[in-house]
Amino acid sequence: MAVRQLVNDPDDFVREALEGLQRVHPDLIRYHEDPAYVVRAQQSDKVALVSGGGSGHEPLHTGFVGTGMLDAAVPGAVFASPTAYQIRAAIGAADRGRGVLLIVKNYTGDVLNFRIAAELAAEDGIQVRTVLVDDDLATDGQEDGAPGRRGTAAVVAVEKICGAAAENGASLDEVAALGERIVSSARTMALALAACTQPGQDKPSFDLPDGEIEFGVGIHGEHGIGRRPYAPVRELVADLTKPIVAALGLDRGDRVIAIVNGLGSTHGLELSVVHRELSVFLDGLGVRIGRALVGSYVTALDMRGCSITLLRADDELLALWDSPVATPALTW
Amino acid sequence: MDTRAWIERFAAVIDERGTQLTELDRLAGDGDYGTNLRLALAKVRANLYLDDPRTPGAVFTSVSNAFLHTGGTSGPLFGMWFREFAKGLGDEELSARSLSVAATEAEATVRRLGGAEVGHKTMVDAMVPAARALTAAAERNADVETALKDAAQAAQVGALSTEEMLAKRGRASYVGEHARGVVDPGALTVAWFFEAATAA
Repeated sequence: MAVRQLVNDPDDFVREALEGLQRVHPDLIRYHEDPAYVVRAQQSDKVALVSGGGSGHEPLHTGFVGTGMLDAAVPGAVFASPTAYQIRAAIGAADRGRGVLLIVKNYTGDVLNFRIAAELAAEDGIQVRTVLVDDDLATDGQEDGAPGRRGTAAVVAVEKICGAAAENGASLDEVAALGERIVSSARTMALALAACTQPGQDKPSFDLPDGEIEFGVGIHGEHGIGRRPYAPVRELVADLTKPIVAALGLDRGDRVIAIVNGLGSTHGLELSVVHRELSVFLDGLGVRIGRALVGSYVTALDMRGCSITLLRADDELLALWDSPVATPALTW
Repeated sequence: MDTRAWIERFAAVIDERGTQLTELDRLAGDGDYGTNLRLALAKVRANLYLDDPRTPGAVFTSVSNAFLHTGGTSGPLFGMWFREFAKGLGDEELSARSLSVAATEAEATVRRLGGAEVGHKTMVDAMVPAARALTAAAERNADVETALKDAAQAAQVGALSTEEMLAKRGRASYVGEHARGVVDPGALTVAWFFEAATAA
């Protein structure tokens, strides 16, 4: 088998990674092994934010536990939802009596297990609200009954901004309403230059012929919505961004928070080029980038590619974005 | 009617026929159903041993916790289904009445959480007729053995009815026509669960 990953045993992969993360940041996080979740090392009396989902998207979500962001993160196995039992335990560990906001990416398994956990937590007497993040335009407009837009990189904005509001003492209802507003104001598109490979596997999740890119990918190594020949970055960025601008109805004078996100093995230089092209493209439309985040934050294991997320922003959202944050993966 | 013997018989039935469920899931889903179910039942056995439950409600609480500890989609749904049995059955001796109330609440909970209705080719296609059979038995004051026999029969008919369905929910909904001709493994599990009560 081709050796391309640093893995002892695929079955121990996520647990060992979380143990490692705790050893890097003992001041910020605690890893609880059974059931598995990560909580803040120091909790404060405020509305708690809990998120989670399959592993393989690091630093999401465990890397965003800390001051000004999440109070707990619940990791499942690679690309698999955590169990309802795990989520319930994390909610219990995070709650400080002010209620818990669950931030859930729109996937069938996550939605179901978080919904069940929310009911169990409510029976335990904990106030729970849920924000469902569904920003991926690639799966928009599906037939009735389909899962709809997937949740991808906009989840970082929801966690950051809601986290800041909670830190400022906002109530559960206020934080939930803010989360809904961010979700309705953010859309994402992604492309892949190469698929990802599961830990311990030696074959990628799909084959991509030389010179072709996969357009409209998600974050689970699944196929995108179309394949096209490779083109210069400025063309690719324009094609990713146009549908986002249209979906958000962005116009001259509007401000956005832009997230240029690497999918796992895209170099920082490439992401900077993507951001340059995004800036030029939006300049041409008269849309201003108020704040930008460029790096690998919501990944699909080692997928090569990127996503672009735009969030329509106002003074309130920008101020909350600027509020201090101290987590393993995001600090300012 | 010994609730714990019923659950132990259910676990034994899944042991005996689990590969059949995996084969059905391989044909119409992603092939991990039988494995997940066996993991859940290993946990059920461990919980029964550790908790040593003495009432129907306590037995079903042990079962529910084991399933909620299991991943996937069907695991937590079964967990919430069994949880309603735990709530509805409580500390009293099993009766057709208590089973009818519990099973009706339980199928409603699964429909609400999973978003599936009868005809969608899921576990709901066996849960709903079983609950109806229990209710009918309770209304004519049938004893608990008769009520469970009726439920087992209704669940079996419901499970087999999924064979010709096109899936609207669950894993099989992703494979479309490929799933036609394949009985839903979740529905079959429900049928075997009630069958285990009649053999316990």
